[in-house]
Amino acid sequence: MTNNATLELETLELETDESTESRPPILFALPKGRLADESLGLLARAGLSVPVDTGSRKLVLPNADRSIGFVMAKPWDVPTFVEYGAADVGICGLDVLRESGRRVHEPLRLPFGHCRLSVAGPVDRPDTPLRYASQPRIATKFPRLTQEFFRQRGVNAEVIGLSGSVELGPVLDLADLIVDIVETGSTLRANGLVEIRTILDVQAVLIVNRAAYQLKNREIQAIIERVRAVI
Amino acid sequence: MLGQIPFGVADYFWEEALQRQELLSSLLESFRRWGYGDVIPPAFEYAASLGAQASAGLQAEMYRFLDRDGKTLALRPEFTTPVARLVGTRLHDWPMPQRFCYAGSVFRYVDPQAGRQREFWQAGVELFGAASPDADAEVLALTAEAMTVAGLRDYRIVLGQIRYFSGLLAALELTPPQSEALRWAIERKSEPALADFLRDTPLRTGQRQAVEALPTLSGGDIQRVIDQAERHSLNTEMHRALVNLRAVVDAAAGYDILDCIVLDLTEIRSLGYYTGISFEALAPQSGFSIGSGGRYDDLVAHFGPAQPAVGVALGVDRLLLARQRQSATRSALRPTPPHALVVAGHHPAAMAQVQAWRAAGYRLQVEVNGRDLAAVLAYAAQIGVGQVLAWESGQFTAYRPNADDLFVASPGKIFFDD
Repeated sequence: MTNNATLELETLELETDESTESRPPILFALPKGRLADESLGLLARAGLSVPVDTGSRKLVLPNADRSIGFVMAKPWDVPTFVEYGAADVGICGLDVLRESGRRVHEPLRLPFGHCRLSVAGPVDRPDTPLRYASQPRIATKFPRLTQEFFRQRGVNAEVIGLSGSVELGPVLDLADLIVDIVETGSTLRANGLVEIRTILDVQAVLIVNRAAYQLKNREIQAIIERVRAVI
Repeated sequence: MLGQIPFGVADYFWEEALQRQELLSSLLESFRRWGYGDVIPPAFEYAASLGAQASAGLQAEMYRFLDRDGKTLALRPEFTTPVARLVGTRLHDWPMPQRFCYAGSVFRYVDPQAGRQREFWQAGVELFGAASPDADAEVLALTAEAMTVAGLRDYRIVLGQIRYFSGLLAALELTPPQSEALRWAIERKSEPALADFLRDTPLRTGQRQAVEALPTLSGGDIQRVIDQAERHSLNTEMHRALVNLRAVVDAAAGYDILDCIVLDLTEIRSLGYYTGISFEALAPQSGFSIGSGGRYDDLVAHFGPAQPAVGVALGVDRLLLARQRQSATRSALRPTPPHALVVAGHHPAAMAQVQAWRAAGYRLQVEVNGRDLAAVLAYAAQIGVGQVLAWESGQFTAYRPNADDLFVASPGKIFFDD
């Protein structure tokens, strides 16, 4: 009950805020988590004033002159917000963008969030090409990209969608291989896995809604130019 | 299963259905005022016809099924191809130009998004047998009018000319993978992908400059964009594209729509389908395009003698959604109430009066369950009808539900508040 009461109070607060202050001209979706600090740092260097209080529970944080509103979103939701135009601009990882298949413009790649989306398997796996397996079981958080990668090689993989701890797949004999994000490879090694092939080189990317790109061209070009100047 | 509906379709009813029908009617009414004649193609036909020039993407989205004789059929995924088939096969000897307008639902196997189900609605026009910039301008102006008729005050039409890019591709003499890389970079407006292309592709200086200039060839300053593009024109195809674009803009000026036109020579979505201008209609309330169109001079030749053609298709679901957001109103989740309920048994004089009112445009609902006035007043209150007309001693008396004292009109005088 108390939980409910707090929830209502917050919603109420939000509504009054939103109704008295109209939506900022540009809404910018930023990813929570791994890419958050570097995204905020980049925008600060680009002179796009960034709200300090990102720990606040308000959902839309305006910058000083209210020309840009920032939304902190789950990384996987950023391409969705931007494709629908709920946010005009966003930052997300190339892995998330490609997996989502969302249709957005992607003017700039950003100099952080570097990693690889790779196929990995047990260290003692025989050294044969992936296309020799008739129907490998593959655990991944990226079912779409995984399916596409194996389909291109003529392999009908059995893709097992997981939402985390993908390395457990081969350990528990749930899967023969995994497709996952690799940064240093230490997690793989710790689980007796080795990288077999890179599917995608990943880094952060600036994305723009297709309609907003035209309708708010001046504001969006200004953002692109400022970001380009510091990357 | 019984009573459920499949994923991707929707029931529209009450006010929402009414608004949809009214929008379709008012769009068709506008199109007819410009001399466009109605056409109703079949909901399904041979898949080969519908796919005559469809992109791989659209091909993959078509609902296909087998006829009982084993031929492959498909539900129409759009209207342009069926109408082009009609003109090519049956109306090729009718005097050109020919103008057609349509409104109806189309079917695509896609994830529902932005107001669109797998069955969604389109309204549009096709103009056959005119290759002139005047024809292009007419369709652009009609698109603008349709946006206004649909109640959108703030919209833009992003206009491109596909020949500029296809001319550039020809001038660069690229391999198919190189063309694909350039096209991908331009479609996604990706600077790094364009940089990769320039790094990996050997080009002469003029060619390189033309590619580098591409991202700058968009904006609302129409003259600047065309002038700048002209400086990088490498062959006659690119030059002709710009001459054509200038002529279309000149022809459109008379319709007073240039303020809402933005040029974008990198708008190349439907390369391989459009053969001249192509455009998208956008509104701030929708992150997705609301309509798209262009010139497609190669389509009719699949079905009969070649004819130049230009047209536009508007997404009715997205128009409704954008309008709803622009006016910040939601359609009421209830049926539109009639002006009055009528309790009259079936007295001939009463029915004659009711018919006269209906003919004058009033919505009247006659009591058919034989309930008395009190019961009908209660029903009227429930469904939001403001007035019940009861036939009493040879004339109608008006009663208002929900009032402490029933309002009784003076004899013979009925109030229809609209």
